[in-house]
Amino acid sequence: MNGYLNIFFRSVIFILILFLITKVVGKKQISQLTFFEYVAGITIGSIAGEAVTGLEKNFLQGAFGILIFGFVTFLTDYFSLKSKKFRDIVEGSGTVIIKEGKLLEDNLKKEKYTIDNLLTLLRQKNVFNVADVEFAVLEPQGKLSVLLKKENRPLTPKDLKMKMPNEKEPYTIIMDGKIMDDALRWSGKSRGWLYTELEKMNATLDNVFLGQVDSYGELTLDLYDDKIKVPQPQQRPLLLASLKKTQADLEIFALSTECEKSKAMYQKNATLLQETIAKLEPYLSK
Amino acid sequence: MTVASNVKQCLTTIRGIESQLSTLALNSLDNEAQAVFHDAAITIETIKKDLQYRVLELERQEPQYKGS
Repeated sequence: MNGYLNIFFRSVIFILILFLITKVVGKKQISQLTFFEYVAGITIGSIAGEAVTGLEKNFLQGAFGILIFGFVTFLTDYFSLKSKKFRDIVEGSGTVIIKEGKLLEDNLKKEKYTIDNLLTLLRQKNVFNVADVEFAVLEPQGKLSVLLKKENRPLTPKDLKMKMPNEKEPYTIIMDGKIMDDALRWSGKSRGWLYTELEKMNATLDNVFLGQVDSYGELTLDLYDDKIKVPQPQQRPLLLASLKKTQADLEIFALSTECEKSKAMYQKNATLLQETIAKLEPYLSK
Repeated sequence: MTVASNVKQCLTTIRGIESQLSTLALNSLDNEAQAVFHDAAITIETIKKDLQYRVLELERQEPQYKGS
């Protein structure tokens, strides 16, 4: 029984140590970007496992080993920030594998990758034809980054010369029926605004599971009670529709009036509205 | 439906549009969107003024529809 108790205490202590080390080294440790983090990650895990269950050993020695590995990783990260030369040695740099659509066999051999390995990596990037690739780099952590030829890249609004409005990130302002005050502040809204919006949508705060506010200040809700239908924000499409209707109305007035002066006025405003609609359309359509 | 009431209806819609654009300009987080909505609200306001003037004219010509 004593052994189990021992393992229990060792586990708790090592979990704390590992937690502290990952906190100190930071997110980089988890992403395992460099050789040091990769090796340290594996070794620290093995040492911890060994020290927790190996009761015949002194567990402080295990803890010492872990601390050394964590410290060295931390130091390399620190010096990598300071010096580019150090960074190149420690972290390595990418190897160009495909350039201008041609395979660089020498670099492939240098990295000891076979053609099959390369084809596998390309397929993981959804590339089945080497001819589609303009440029590919083997990153230090063994992943392949691929730049497709322009004609094989996905179509973007920019390719179609479409002007797309920029949108800010949505904020989650209600979680589990509780108002997230920080997020509410970042979104530039107040509690008063939120209560009004909730009332408009006929929802009570404690029935809201998730509430998000988007770039246009529109609130989207997800309720606990899925039987209740929540109105989706419709303001902008409706506004676009009424703009178009008004524009058509002005055209009709222009055609039907006999007074020359008013005709000109209606005509002028119809054109003006047409231009405004064109400007607003990217912002108002869903 | 007379011409006067049609124009009046249109004027009301325009008033609604103007206020909605102003709300959107205030509520939007993106600066560019704010500017676009604001500009549009100003343009709509000039159209609104023209129409208001026309409504007054129509009311003078057809006094029987005044206020309808």
